[in-house]
Amino acid sequence: MKSIVTHLLFFSIPLIIIGETATLYRAEKIQATPSQFFKPGEILIENGIIKAIGNSVKCPDGCKFVEWKNSEIYPGLISPGSSLGLAEINALRPTRDLSEVGTHTPGIEAWVAVNPDSELIPVARANGITHSLTVPMGGTISGTSGLIKLHGWGTEDITIKKNVALHLWWPGHGLSIPSPSHGNKSKSIKDQDKERKKRISEIDEFFDQAIAYQTQKKSGDKTFLQIPSWEAMIPVIERKTPLMIHANESRQIKAAVQWAEKRNFKFTLSGARDAWKHADWLAEKKIPVIFRHIFSAPLHQSSPHDDYYKAPGILAKAGVPLSIGLPLGGWATANQRNLPYHAAHGVPYGLSREKALASITIEPAKACGIDHRLGTLEKGKEATFIRTSGDILDIRISVLGMVMQGNEVNLESRHTRLNSRYLNRPKP
Amino acid sequence: MINVQNFFYLSLFLLVLVNLNGDDFSFPGEKPKVLDIHALVGGDIQINPEKRIKQGTILIRDGIIERVGKDFEIPPAYRIWKMEGKTIYPGLIDAYLLSGSSESGLLELDHDQHVYATTDLSFHGVPSTRSDPGEKGPGFEVAGVHPQYKLVTTFQPDEKKWEDLRENGFTMVHIAPSDGIFRGTGPSVLLLNKNPNDCIVKKEVAQILAFDPVGKEETPAVYPSSLMGVFSVIRQSFLEVEYAQQLLSYEAKNSTSLPFTSHSGILALASVMKKQNSMPIWIESGSCLMTNRAIKLSKEFNLSPVLIATGDEWRRPDLACSESLSYISPLIFPALANLKEEDDWEQISLDQLRAWDHAPSNPALLAKKTKSLSLTTTGTNFNEFHKNLLKAIERGLSKENALAALTTNPAKLLGAEKYAGTLESGKLANLFIVNGGNYFSKDVSIHSTWIKGRPFIHPVQKSQKNEKDEANASRIKSDQLVARFPSEDRKPINMPSSILFTNATIWTCSMDGKMKNGELFIENGKIRALGKTIKDLDRSKIKVIDLQGKHITPGIIDCHSHAMILGRVNESTLPSTAMVRIEDVINSESVNIERQLAGGVTTCNLLHGSANPIGGQNAVIKLRLGSAPDKLLIKNAPKGIKFALGENVKQANWGDKYTSRFPQSRMGVKMFFQNRFGAALAYEKKLKRGKKEGFPVKTNLELGAILEIIKGQRLIHCHSYRQDEILVFLRTMEGFGVRVGSLQHVLEGYKVADEISRHGAGASTFSDWWAYKFEVYDAIPYAGAIMHERGCVVSFNSDSPDHARRLNLEAAKAIKYGGLSEMEALMFITLNPAKQLGIDSWVGSLKVSKDADLAIWSGPPLDYRTKCEQTWVDGILLHETEASTERDKRRKNERLSLLKKAKQSLEKVKEHEPTKEAQIKFFRHSLETASDLHPHSCRSGQHNNQCVHQ
Repeated sequence: MKSIVTHLLFFSIPLIIIGETATLYRAEKIQATPSQFFKPGEILIENGIIKAIGNSVKCPDGCKFVEWKNSEIYPGLISPGSSLGLAEINALRPTRDLSEVGTHTPGIEAWVAVNPDSELIPVARANGITHSLTVPMGGTISGTSGLIKLHGWGTEDITIKKNVALHLWWPGHGLSIPSPSHGNKSKSIKDQDKERKKRISEIDEFFDQAIAYQTQKKSGDKTFLQIPSWEAMIPVIERKTPLMIHANESRQIKAAVQWAEKRNFKFTLSGARDAWKHADWLAEKKIPVIFRHIFSAPLHQSSPHDDYYKAPGILAKAGVPLSIGLPLGGWATANQRNLPYHAAHGVPYGLSREKALASITIEPAKACGIDHRLGTLEKGKEATFIRTSGDILDIRISVLGMVMQGNEVNLESRHTRLNSRYLNRPKP
Repeated sequence: MINVQNFFYLSLFLLVLVNLNGDDFSFPGEKPKVLDIHALVGGDIQINPEKRIKQGTILIRDGIIERVGKDFEIPPAYRIWKMEGKTIYPGLIDAYLLSGSSESGLLELDHDQHVYATTDLSFHGVPSTRSDPGEKGPGFEVAGVHPQYKLVTTFQPDEKKWEDLRENGFTMVHIAPSDGIFRGTGPSVLLLNKNPNDCIVKKEVAQILAFDPVGKEETPAVYPSSLMGVFSVIRQSFLEVEYAQQLLSYEAKNSTSLPFTSHSGILALASVMKKQNSMPIWIESGSCLMTNRAIKLSKEFNLSPVLIATGDEWRRPDLACSESLSYISPLIFPALANLKEEDDWEQISLDQLRAWDHAPSNPALLAKKTKSLSLTTTGTNFNEFHKNLLKAIERGLSKENALAALTTNPAKLLGAEKYAGTLESGKLANLFIVNGGNYFSKDVSIHSTWIKGRPFIHPVQKSQKNEKDEANASRIKSDQLVARFPSEDRKPINMPSSILFTNATIWTCSMDGKMKNGELFIENGKIRALGKTIKDLDRSKIKVIDLQGKHITPGIIDCHSHAMILGRVNESTLPSTAMVRIEDVINSESVNIERQLAGGVTTCNLLHGSANPIGGQNAVIKLRLGSAPDKLLIKNAPKGIKFALGENVKQANWGDKYTSRFPQSRMGVKMFFQNRFGAALAYEKKLKRGKKEGFPVKTNLELGAILEIIKGQRLIHCHSYRQDEILVFLRTMEGFGVRVGSLQHVLEGYKVADEISRHGAGASTFSDWWAYKFEVYDAIPYAGAIMHERGCVVSFNSDSPDHARRLNLEAAKAIKYGGLSEMEALMFITLNPAKQLGIDSWVGSLKVSKDADLAIWSGPPLDYRTKCEQTWVDGILLHETEASTERDKRRKNERLSLLKKAKQSLEKVKEHEPTKEAQIKFFRHSLETASDLHPHSCRSGQHNNQCVHQ
């Protein structure tokens, strides 16, 4: 919490020095929260913070007035997980920084390797994505993710929260299918079961060891040696850094939930392919879910073609706090701009528009522990929002503008630059 | 001409008799010869599958059955064998026992993801690092093509194996070679020990052909490494034989003999292709649909093959079974895995359960729907073979058919029906004797097996019979087939001869624009009328559907798909594979058909991958759910071919090993095209000269396809990215007078849009995909709109089974990026791809006399809130929301019933450990299924290393 306050101060100070006055934006519609909108709407901001919002807001003396005609205003969209900044051109190894070697590397921090000038960042921003949770990959415990804003100057500036969560990738529980080549030995079902249990007990053991380290450290034992990896585990054990557990299959999900309950950890479930099958159970336990599979191929050939289209609707209806994201990894990085359409696709299949909006704004903000600043447009929250020509979930509309912490942000990108260059190519 | 085969048998028999007489007198120290005059008395005799004599007698002399019957007096010289309580059966024959480098050997095609290409380039005249990728010595210059191989030349009896076979009643086997594509021949042999000369019945039974992409086993892979490559190899091999024969007769007439014209491979294949007295050909296809392909291929080359079944014929009995052909089937039934947890079962698919449940019924299916069924023990052990045989009988295979499948039918296939297969006088005394009355009983024990009159008495086996077995036997009897046939879920939902849609918003994708409250009338699969109100219709006599304001668009056309291709989408080995054809490997069973129909797609351009500058021939299909692969093809669609430029063809992202195949740079790519087009022109010149001067010219499938391009008979669909390569490619093709059909991906096409437009090539691109490799760093989502504005015919394609499910939403991006109108955007996925594929006379817009390919949407087609509710192909309803839901329910229930059955049968039966083959078979996906599980697409982001092969 302390770090956030410092950050706020850090951003506020220069604004105050410049003597920024209040600005009032008026639009045809302001979607303040997923369930509340003002039509027409006005939003008053000062020093990067929302001072007032409503159908009509009083503009104080000296207030700048901005009319956004034929426009709607939405909170900035938050990607609940990507490799933005860590991956540029995924086929090229020199441009990949998204995963690290090792099975248990809690000391890895994603924010340190984010390239603030990645060409992929302005492209995502241009469609209204203001923030991304940048996630480290590789191994069982891959490290901690950082929340970045998609505009700013340098790594420290754009990183608005360093250790958002420790990422635990739950061991796979799939049956290994024997190779079709003759003589290739597959493991017996029994052995596979054993291996599965062993891997889970390894996770337990790792956390037990971390606790042992913490105990030794506290005791002031003279043989104590400071070990960075265990140091990184202490905020997790002290419940200061939350857990994000990546699990897709039913059994992984169940095992992860049981494990976390046993150890009394709160966590966010990421991936969550089969979570819809346990929607009520997850809702009851109030486990937030980040669903990343709306466009995955159905599990079996006999599965309905729209199983995963329906999944977000089922989860949301059951009351599961639901975020929607793209699959993690290098290949999805360049496509983060399509985040709203991953959420939108649930709508004709039972997801309400309200929950679809929540899944890419306030819910990911909550999952990142930053909902007091981001995710909705309410008095006292950050003035980070976007201007669109219509429903943000509709592919046909355009994102026309963006305000981040009170400042209007340029939405140019490699794509708009190339577009205007070649749009204006003289006919040969 | 003397019948060679008969002559051969005659000599064999003479040899047998001479040998017997000559060896009668043993040397001192040897065991004296046993007498070979036997009388088997008092046993039941199963003369042939239909006829049985109670308590009869068989007389055997010198290895031959002398007399069979009842109530005749036994001459005094005979050694009497009392056979009361026993039954004598004709000796069993295994028609297809494999022998070769792999143990079980039956071909199981799979569809794993990709293979990296080779540096071996010698096929079809491309410069190479290795001169002959074929076998050592003279022969075909392709891996796996060695029809001249004769297994008999190295034949040795395998004493241990043969003892096993004999103990299970077998007396004769056909040993077939198991390596390669054209594998050569194997002998049929009697299961006698010691001297190979005593065993051989026939030196060569048949030429064995298997659809095995053998090149993929090499590192780096060599041609052919894909299933479609295999078919090109087969075709080219046959064509070479034809050419050699033409050349021989030409030389005979013109006395211009060259010293060497035909190698032994040519001669061996020539004997297969001869009309009379030909060497039979047996085909092991490796999958259900490939069996259908084997039947088609046989028609193409006028062959009448014996087919090795896979056990998967239940998937498409209508395609895999032929009443005019004989089949040989293994009896490997998948063994249920003993899964402990519910979540384990969750991972078992309906398809796996169906395969498990259908397996025992498959032999009966084959017996019913084919000319004849023979069985082979290959891939099983004998215990399991017999057990499975009984299961097959319980599932409807008659005992007569079962016995025929092990005696008379294989005898015929082996050309040995005169000598084996039944217990009739004059035949070889090949037989086996069971204790009790029935070979087809669970506790059968075999007393002895006799081969050529020589008895092998088996040690008395303890009867395995106990109460548990009894219980099992009764349980199995009640075992009914629960699984359904896949075709049951793929029937048309509705196929009215005519139908009138009213009150619809009609997006015509033509000059007519969008019509509100419009009407559309279809009849016999065609659009007959459309408009505000259609006149001259007797509305009382036709079916009318009020769409209540819903939207109708033309069926969506996907100009770039790999979603229904079997056995690899790249023949990635050679830089030019113009001879391979996607139409050989269309997966009509792919679940992607129904999934994409659910997204409004009706037509797909199935393309070869982009691993080489000149890829294979594409196939333009309609998603006619449930139809045979050949019936999916759009008949009138112009022929086409896949080309590729850039990083993939120069192997830029394949790793450091791949640096020697030409081309390795964009400079070389251009030169490569010039080379192959030049070669094609030279080939044409030679063809013309040959025709004029009357000398034969070898048909070259690669150059023939390229020549079609030059003649304007084949459209190029060229994978391309960077502006420079696009421009240079267009210019190179213009140099040969060729107009390019479509540039695929064409991500920097917006930089040279005017040039593309002027050339007249279509531009089929992604809506917004970029930055996955270096050459797409400059890809922008505005590209479609820019190219469109500059006069190009632009489409958005899927290149992924997933994106194909929502191409309407991809099209919407042309509005977002570039501000096109909704109709213009919709045309990116309807009329424009139709134009690019040259099929716009029939599909792509809603216009009178075009095909009735429609998608009906709940709302505006480019709106995210809209669902596709109905999809019609040729006036037949193939997707409808409620019907699809019903189908899903049926499948769910079927899966649950099968799961229940599976769990029950695991509880009840404590069977012996199933063979490894059977255990693996439960988890192994058929080719048709595997190709859906490993789709060729990177856009899902799941197949990192392979993604560079678009």
